[in-house]
Amino acid sequence: MNPVVEVLNVTREAAWLPWAVQYFFLIGLSVGCFLLTLPGFAFARPAWLRLARLALIGALVCGFAAPVALLADLHQPGRFWRFYAHPNLNSWMAWGAFFIPGYLGGLCLYAWAALRPGLATAPAPARAGLLRRAWRLAALPWLPPLPRLLPLAAAWAAGFAALVLLYTGMEVMVLRARPLWATPFLPVQFAVTALAGAIGLVLVLDRLLPPRDRGMEAVLNRLLALSLAAALAVGGAWLATGLLGLDATHAAALASVAHSPEWRVTAIWAALAAAVPAALALWRPAGTGWLSGLIALHAAWMFRWTVFIGGQTVPKTGAGLYAYHLPLGHDGLLGILGTGGFCLFLLIALTALLPWEAAGPARAAEAAAAPVTPAAPGRA
Amino acid sequence: MSVSRRSFFSGLSASLGGAVGAAEAATPGIRAQVGGPRWGMVVDTAKCIGCQACTVSCIMENAVPEDSFRTIVSTYEVREGDRTAMVMLPRLCNHCEDPPCIPVCPVGATYQRADGIVVVNADACVGCAYCVQACPYDARFINHETQKADKCTFCAHRVDAGLLPACVESCVGGARIFGDLNDPGSTVSRLLAKNESKVLKPEMETGPRVYYLGLDDAFLGKVEAEPTLWHPSHRQEARS
Ligand code: SF4
Ligand code: SF4
Ligand code: SF4
Repeated sequence: MNPVVEVLNVTREAAWLPWAVQYFFLIGLSVGCFLLTLPGFAFARPAWLRLARLALIGALVCGFAAPVALLADLHQPGRFWRFYAHPNLNSWMAWGAFFIPGYLGGLCLYAWAALRPGLATAPAPARAGLLRRAWRLAALPWLPPLPRLLPLAAAWAAGFAALVLLYTGMEVMVLRARPLWATPFLPVQFAVTALAGAIGLVLVLDRLLPPRDRGMEAVLNRLLALSLAAALAVGGAWLATGLLGLDATHAAALASVAHSPEWRVTAIWAALAAAVPAALALWRPAGTGWLSGLIALHAAWMFRWTVFIGGQTVPKTGAGLYAYHLPLGHDGLLGILGTGGFCLFLLIALTALLPWEAAGPARAAEAAAAPVTPAAPGRA
Repeated sequence: MSVSRRSFFSGLSASLGGAVGAAEAATPGIRAQVGGPRWGMVVDTAKCIGCQACTVSCIMENAVPEDSFRTIVSTYEVREGDRTAMVMLPRLCNHCEDPPCIPVCPVGATYQRADGIVVVNADACVGCAYCVQACPYDARFINHETQKADKCTFCAHRVDAGLLPACVESCVGGARIFGDLNDPGSTVSRLLAKNESKVLKPEMETGPRVYYLGLDDAFLGKVEAEPTLWHPSHRQEARS
């Protein structure tokens, strides 16, 4: 029995709401998906074309939804302009306010460059003359062909994607007040799980947006297993650093949660959420992609939930853990469901309105435009 | 304590005697000091009776919303053999010399005044709560009514008017002593010179300017104890 009993103290509520979880999840997925588009689009590898097209949709959907969640996490969202009018450049968060539009601007330009050949030539769905006219207009036909634009926009967006990964990790890592967060493993794990989640998302999109491509699924499943193995290794390294007492902060972080049964369940759950889809991906690389993909998405989300919401239940001075009850309103469940719904809406809108199946370097679009169904097989 | 108050108020009357602006009135009695005052607090834990008068007066003075606290007296029961004792630990913002809450603020809304008081410019705060995360002492929170970062201000509005902070004014046991650390003659300076004092979480190297007398090392950091028996969300659970 502990000789000290805390008789009276206060609870500090979680100040970063589930919106923050949604933001870090979505921006990570967007960056991961963008990276997955590069072999197919920027390096014009035909075998990666369908993967790149699905990943582009994922990058755009999550990229558009992420800033909405971020704004919602501000308690004074109407004042976001102050990030640009009065930035304090000592703060990683202030830099993030510049990196996000830099990344999203680059992503949009990159997407336009990849979609332009399709916008100019792809046959629109039947009885969609208006849509076809809009496509032709959106291709900006009065501009000359811009073959350098795609690689240039790719480089621009890739640079900012790296900065987004860097700042989202550093922003949390610099908080020495929270030993659970103040670890160099955290930015690495954010990046690794973002990639795993993005691969999972593309696997799920492959199922939702036929025709499915078994060859691509097998490639993605191999990548998924690799990224999840990396996530397990990073998690294991963090645990070992704490257990062996190699570093005081890591030991303090572990000590702050080790006694809690909930945290132990969470740790086992997290390990399973990474190990199960990895095993599934290796054991049945074709046909199960949607399942391993869904579990990987769940793992990426849950990692952020545990870090942010779980991390904030650890008192900085008090004993034990603060209780967290998920509110049902917009600061909780409704916010989570709302972002999910918004993503679904964006997915439907983008896939319905864009000739995404013809996206790619100019030559790929011509190939896609030729058949009546403009979907090119993944393995060209 | 009475000494500290008397000297404080004699300074106040002197400063009020000359028709001075609010900024100058912030430095009653110590304007002779080069560089102005550096406000700080000494908490003599042996004198704290855990009555929470400071907690209540702070709420009244600063319109702190329900379920939020700028200050609280953490109360612990310590058993040693068959003896039991209480430990009182008044907590508030430490107005750190090197405050980690300031550099993280993306819009520069939180800053340190020349007299050391760390404040939030409520007109600039975007409510991102980054500072709340960065404070190692859980001294900050998002005010549900203003939706901005909130924390102890050392009652800057009172100090600027030549008054003592509300919690010091109302402290029943005389455990909270407030004054100018730059003035070697102030009560806080003399107490610190005469006694061994401690600060919370010294390993964070934040340079707290709230000093504790008579506090055991076991209470300086995250206290290893059986968790609290009461906190606001318990009450909410009971209500619903
Ligand atoms: S105690 Fe916390 S809020 Fe107060 S100055 Fe120090 S770091 Fe900032
Ligand atoms: S909550 Fe306000 S004071 Fe705190 S870091 Fe954000 S903008 Fe700055
Ligand atoms: S100095 Fe003022 S704001 Fe700070 S704890 Fe005391 S009463 Fe509250």
